[in-house]
Formats: sequence, C-alpha cells, structure tokens
Amino acid sequence: MATVKLGFIVQRPPYKSENPKLALTHAIASQSVEMYLNDGDLVTADLAFVGDGVLNCLKNQKAMDKYGLTSTESHIKSALMLDLSVMVCKEDLERFGLSEDDVVLDAEEFGADMVTKVVPYSEIAKMMEDSNHLLFF
Amino acid sequence: MKLAVFVSDYRLTADTLERLTSDKLGIIFVSNGVYHATIKEKGNSSALLKKNAQFYVLHDDLETRGLGGSDIAENVKLVSYGELVELIFNDYEKLAWL
Repeated sequence: MATVKLGFIVQRPPYKSENPKLALTHAIASQSVEMYLNDGDLVTADLAFVGDGVLNCLKNQKAMDKYGLTSTESHIKSALMLDLSVMVCKEDLERFGLSEDDVVLDAEEFGADMVTKVVPYSEIAKMMEDSNHLLFF
Repeated sequence: MKLAVFVSDYRLTADTLERLTSDKLGIIFVSNGVYHATIKEKGNSSALLKKNAQFYVLHDDLETRGLGGSDIAENVKLVSYGELVELIFNDYEKLAWL
C-alpha cells in the first residue's frame, strides 16, 4: 500500500495564461486515476496558491458572465468538492491588502465539506517537503 | 502623437512603458493589467499610476477577476467595451499592446 502525494503550486495570476487553470484541472484529474492503482494505493493532491497566484482565489469572479469562461473560482470549488486540500498563502494575501474575507473559502452550495485554508507560508513549505512530486504553475 | 497603451499584464511592463514617449499618453488596463488599477501591494498603489497619463480600466476584465469599480484607484476611469472603442477612435492616434 502506497500513497503518492502531489503538490500543485500556483504562482501566476488568473486568466492571462492557462497555467493556474491547468494546475487546478490537473489536480482534479489526479483523483480519477484510481482505476489504474492497486488496492490500497492512493494519489493525493494538495493545491497551494502563493505570490501573484493568490489572486486566483478572489471570490465573485464573473468570467462566465463576461466571457463564457469557467472561472478559476469555480475550479477551486470543484477541487474542494473532491476533498482536495486548498491552501492560500496568508503573507501574500496581506501583501496585496487582501484577507480571508476576499477569497473563495468553501463550496457549500455543492455540498463540499472541505474549505480553503489561509495559512502562513511555513505551512505551505511543509506541504512541499512532504510531497513526492511538486508541480509549479 | 497621441498614444494609447493597453497594459495587459501585472508584471514586466513598467520598463517598456518608461521608453515610450508621446504628447498625450493613455494607459488602458485590460486583462491582468487591471490589478494595476486596484491592488495596493505592501500598501502602495502601482508605480504606473504615478505616470503623467490618463488611466482607464476595462470593467468586464475587473469583474471577471472578482474585482469591481469600487476597488479602483481615484485617478483611473472605469470604461465599458463601448466606451473603450469610442476612446481609441476619438482620443488617440496610435495604439500599443503590452
């Protein structure tokens, strides 16, 4: 029985490039590999938003209304629905004058139990140390 | 020359803007450039907003990112797509996209 831990680090702001959304879709897709695993084996995915990447987490994004695009916000909610761990760097939020009130914290409307955690960078660093594979977007 | 510059990124464009000269300069924040109009990094507004220019920000791109008209700096004018078209046809002679 083995657990492979994936860490997805998002460091770019949303929409201008595909990178942040790719991080989210890859993390979500990583949870669909069960059919290829042996009994008891697991793949876990942690998502962390750092630097300019924290701007992905602002709530009330209207990408669908304005451009017909699935918003980064809704991708984050999908990740929470799949019980992925989503972390946002507290120091970087504060650098931009933002707080926990400004970010997507839950996906209650979809019945998700998992919530976004605003954490000090040290906690994200710990996740990175514990991961088997780190993917930067 | 009356020059309008679209700023579409939050990083990397300041140096290029320093090298552009014009009699009248308009800076239009679109795409991820809208963060210049809203974000105060470490309490400071974007350095771009100190330039001698007229500033505009595209409302749709703000709202796409979870931001709104109430978030923008005082010297930035909120514009719709329609107003943006009027602006670049009537007020400026050349356009640049950064």
